[in-house]
Amino acid sequence: MNRGEGSFEVTPLVAAAHELKAPLALVRQLALRLGDEHLSDAERKKLLHQTVLTTERALRLTSDLTKAARLDSALFQLEPINPDQLCRDVVSELQPLFAAYGRSVAVKGRRHPLLLVANRDLLRRILLGFSDNALHYSQPGTAVHLQIQAFKKSGIVRVGVRDFGPALSSDMWRTLQKKLESAPQTIHARPESSGLGLFIASQFADAMNGRIGAVRHKDGATFYVELQASNQLSFL
Amino acid sequence: MTRVLLVEDDAWLAEVEASIIADAGYEVQIAPHAPAAIEIVDAFHPEVIVLDVLLAGATAFALLNELQSYSDTGMVPVILCTNIADQFDAKKLNEYGVKRVVDKTTMYSADLVAAIRSVEL
Repeated sequence: MNRGEGSFEVTPLVAAAHELKAPLALVRQLALRLGDEHLSDAERKKLLHQTVLTTERALRLTSDLTKAARLDSALFQLEPINPDQLCRDVVSELQPLFAAYGRSVAVKGRRHPLLLVANRDLLRRILLGFSDNALHYSQPGTAVHLQIQAFKKSGIVRVGVRDFGPALSSDMWRTLQKKLESAPQTIHARPESSGLGLFIASQFADAMNGRIGAVRHKDGATFYVELQASNQLSFL
Repeated sequence: MTRVLLVEDDAWLAEVEASIIADAGYEVQIAPHAPAAIEIVDAFHPEVIVLDVLLAGATAFALLNELQSYSDTGMVPVILCTNIADQFDAKKLNEYGVKRVVDKTTMYSADLVAAIRSVEL
């Protein structure tokens, strides 16, 4: 379909502007609604809470953008990390946001503990980003799962975020796979996404000698990061 | 009471917009994505559709094509309510039932209500 005008190139700058437009527009509408004098105290409190949480989401993106821009010049310490504990920290951080949207987020833990090699801050940012994306695509009342999987032969640990929402169409999935194979570059995860979140995640993963990927399900998707397992695993 | 279907995937924005529309005296139902919108269209028979463009799953354009493929739903006026209003020209989208384009980033409640009033059958 002709939208009525030609498309334009999506540069990181354009993508950042696009990604920030939605939360800013939402904050503006929430603020305008707060001006309604007929609101009850409970409604007013709810709108204020939503405003704060939306602002925090937007601030996370700006913080990630700053971090991504400084990746080349910065030194990131890679160390053995317990992904299960990190996932639990991410879940604690996101619980209020998910609850406010009527969704839940949980860690699907492993029976046996393991360690991977990563930078704690970068991995945390990747998981926050994937979870934020999952929140947007999950259906009300569903739970988003953070999952950890070990591939012993290849010495890889996969940390994934599974959402339960509308399935990606075959066309969209093919586009995503093609783009994921040639990452890092701006990749369009889902139709309304500029791909900026995945672009940032792929840069963070690359800085930790890892990679990101996605798995399509009938009822949603899993976005994951794969990192080297730590040798210290054998000491556990 | 005129029935308005609001298709918006951000739950909080949908709540705000639905309140604006309801306060203006319309009956409103919310669909969070295109498949839900199609189901609601069949049961609710909206007289106006307010449609976000960048939806989770199928895009607004898939929904517009679906609506246009039936004679009854093809007649329902559509208002695009989007953050990327600058990329659309309502006149060029008229053949898809789009009568108005409202910019979500700058709109006030009165703008949304005025857009609905202007396209009511």
